[in-house]
Amino acid sequence: MDAIARIETGLKGRFGADIKGLSSPSPARLFVDVDRRALRASSKMLIELGGRYMVGIGYDEIARNGTLGLIHTFAFDADHVAVVLRTSAPASDPTFDSITPDIPNAGWSEREYQDLLGMKFTGHPKPKRLILADDWPDGIYPLRKEVPYNLEPPAAEDVAYRLDEAPPGTTIVPVGPFHVSLHEPEHFAVYVDGETIKGCDYRGFMTHRGIEKLCQTQVSYNEVPFVAERICGICGSVHAVCYAQAVETAAGIPISRRAEYIRTIMLEIERLHSHLLWLGIAGHLIGFDTVFMQAWRVREKVMWLAERITGNRKTYGMVLIGGVRRDITPEIRSEIEGMLATLEKEVMVLKNAVIGDSAIHRRTKGVGFLSKEDAIRWSLVGPVARARGLRLDARKDHPYAAYGDMTFDVPVVDSCDVWGTLVVRVLEIFESIAILRQALAGMPADGPILTAIPEALPPLRHAVSMVEAPRGESVHYVITGEENRPERWRVRAPTYPNLQAVPAMLLDNQFADFPIILGQIDPCFSCTDRVAVVDAGTGAKRVLGRAELEGMSRKPEGGGSRS
Amino acid sequence: MSIVAIFVNVLLFLLLAPLFEGVMRRITARVQSRQGPPIVQPYYDLFKLLGKERINSAGNWAFKLAPLAALASILAVVSLVPFGSRVNALGGRVDAITVVYLLTLGGVSVLLGALASRNTFAAIGASREMVTMVMVEPVLAMTLILGAVRTHSLGLGPAVFSTAGAGFSLSTGVMLVAYLLALQAFVAKQPFDIPEAEIEILEGPFIEYSGPDYGMFRIYMMMKQMFYAWLFVAVFIPIGRTGLYPLNILLQLLGTLVVFVVIALVGSTNPRLRIDQAVKIYAVLILIALGAVGLAVAGV
Repeated sequence: MDAIARIETGLKGRFGADIKGLSSPSPARLFVDVDRRALRASSKMLIELGGRYMVGIGYDEIARNGTLGLIHTFAFDADHVAVVLRTSAPASDPTFDSITPDIPNAGWSEREYQDLLGMKFTGHPKPKRLILADDWPDGIYPLRKEVPYNLEPPAAEDVAYRLDEAPPGTTIVPVGPFHVSLHEPEHFAVYVDGETIKGCDYRGFMTHRGIEKLCQTQVSYNEVPFVAERICGICGSVHAVCYAQAVETAAGIPISRRAEYIRTIMLEIERLHSHLLWLGIAGHLIGFDTVFMQAWRVREKVMWLAERITGNRKTYGMVLIGGVRRDITPEIRSEIEGMLATLEKEVMVLKNAVIGDSAIHRRTKGVGFLSKEDAIRWSLVGPVARARGLRLDARKDHPYAAYGDMTFDVPVVDSCDVWGTLVVRVLEIFESIAILRQALAGMPADGPILTAIPEALPPLRHAVSMVEAPRGESVHYVITGEENRPERWRVRAPTYPNLQAVPAMLLDNQFADFPIILGQIDPCFSCTDRVAVVDAGTGAKRVLGRAELEGMSRKPEGGGSRS
Repeated sequence: MSIVAIFVNVLLFLLLAPLFEGVMRRITARVQSRQGPPIVQPYYDLFKLLGKERINSAGNWAFKLAPLAALASILAVVSLVPFGSRVNALGGRVDAITVVYLLTLGGVSVLLGALASRNTFAAIGASREMVTMVMVEPVLAMTLILGAVRTHSLGLGPAVFSTAGAGFSLSTGVMLVAYLLALQAFVAKQPFDIPEAEIEILEGPFIEYSGPDYGMFRIYMMMKQMFYAWLFVAVFIPIGRTGLYPLNILLQLLGTLVVFVVIALVGSTNPRLRIDQAVKIYAVLILIALGAVGLAVAGV
């Protein structure tokens, strides 16, 4: 019995009439419509059946049928299946059972829709504001369709995020909103006893750009890939491909094999770039700037390569719905192959230097420990999960583009610490090089690179797409719309699940290890923050108003601190 | 002449310390495949800092006093030392213990500034600085005590030039190892740049400092580095005893330069340790240093 049948039987047997609909548009997807009564129990059952929580999606259907929709998505990696659990509630009473007590990783998704759509989640363990600025007025839910994308409510001065209660006997070290080990504005309040971390509260979502709302209201289908690429400076192609795939699946647009190969090549070049970039930053975070400089010197070659192919060192602008924008010519192909040979040699030197350095062992082994069980519980993804013994890789589990044709290894180690993450990412560089060689050799000799898409795409189709970004799995969920743009587009970058587990990784570590423990997930705050709607511009002020932060930016005449 | 030597000391240390820093930065850059800044960059940096507005961001007198005290203490140290193998007018009136005291005073000044700035990161930096001071200064003290034991004099000249005076021995060799290992901690470079740890605690004790106040701390740090590098040459490598004062100075400066090259190479090929890991290493260093003194007492 295949996995979809097994899940269907399981859900039907237990929930019977509460299952309103089941459909399986492809052997890799199962859409389940469930009554909200059974939401928590069915979610729990999906986890028990071997599912991994991916992300929640909320959407506004008030104009259509007076409801707010909520979707939880689950991946069955070993079975190569994704299950989409849909439910809804009337807008007059948008209350759902929280699934966070069973699935901690759903915590942020639920808080997100509490902020943005006005949903209520009964039983949520930490129903604090997550995304909206603290002075955002109550009762305005920016992701609802009635709220214009450029609404600017008046700012307020006297509101502040309330940090979690510090454990007794600890002092608070404010890491952020601006701190050298964070490359973007975020605030971690780290509770330390001496130098030992006893807890941590996180207030993020300060880089508000409102990308999802923008793309649902202002731009058209084929403009979104360019916006998607700008979600993140490092894994732009990942987001563009992930979005394009979701739309292609939803609308049933076939793309050419050659385009799939070119997408694969761009994704792997991006991975090479990202892994080298991260290795450098990891070195910097433990105070080893020579690793930083050398890794970035090697990375420069990858950027040269990207520029040769796309004209851009980063943010390639290659992907459109239906294919890619530029071809790889035979001359470029031989240049890529030449570059790969040098790169492999240089990375080998780097690998031997880093893996064999006992001083690096001292700073990374046993640091940021999180057991395999906890990694499953927190639904970790990417190298952070693979360093904890989980064989998760969307390229293998949910093959897309040309990955089905590629032979490669997924390095997995079980040291459960920062060291493991480092080893996984360094080894993956060589796998990427191998994939690139295969893709260049196996690419169909010629053929179209772009399929023209029809004038109008069929509306209200749902699709979920997964792409393995260098930092882990990215998930995009698309509901097609009627106005030549997605009705709903939800982006979940790998940092979203991984960051939620950081407090668990920090616990009982030394404060000196904070940068590298956070750094091991390669946090991309801009990816994570993509959703919130137009910022009132007061983000940092209120957080800095806290007493323990006053020492950081004191003004001579003793006025309120500001960033 | 011995009064002139005081000024020679102070001037040479003040003038050359940034140059050695520049050399170090250049070597680090080369290890990292970078071009690196001009060797005279630290001078530019200092001039820039000294020319800026003086801001008392903590609003108390201790915050302003600390950099002055730090600079004063290191100036006092270098005015005493027998640079160029000549014991000057001041150095003849003090003993080795004075130098240890004055150096500690410099560290205490840094602590004072850090605590006065009332900043969380400065406080963490201060606690790390304190631990480092308590654990590393003994190696310096033992080095001078070793000299004192071997030359039977606490005088600054004999204590420093013990190898030259009493010859090389097993105890000197053991102490040399301890001193070399502690050197990175003395000069606050990787793997022991823990109190400043830019990426964790944002330069720790100095986070609130800017302009001339920070500039003074920078001079203090550079001179301290030069002092420790010079002391290694003076104690363990008896060069610069030609009888010709300027030549002595030149030889010792060349030795110091070599020590700086070593510091830069070690610093650029190591990550930073955590304070708990470093403390264990410091403890071993103290034991080695104690052992060396023990050997010296036993006459080995």
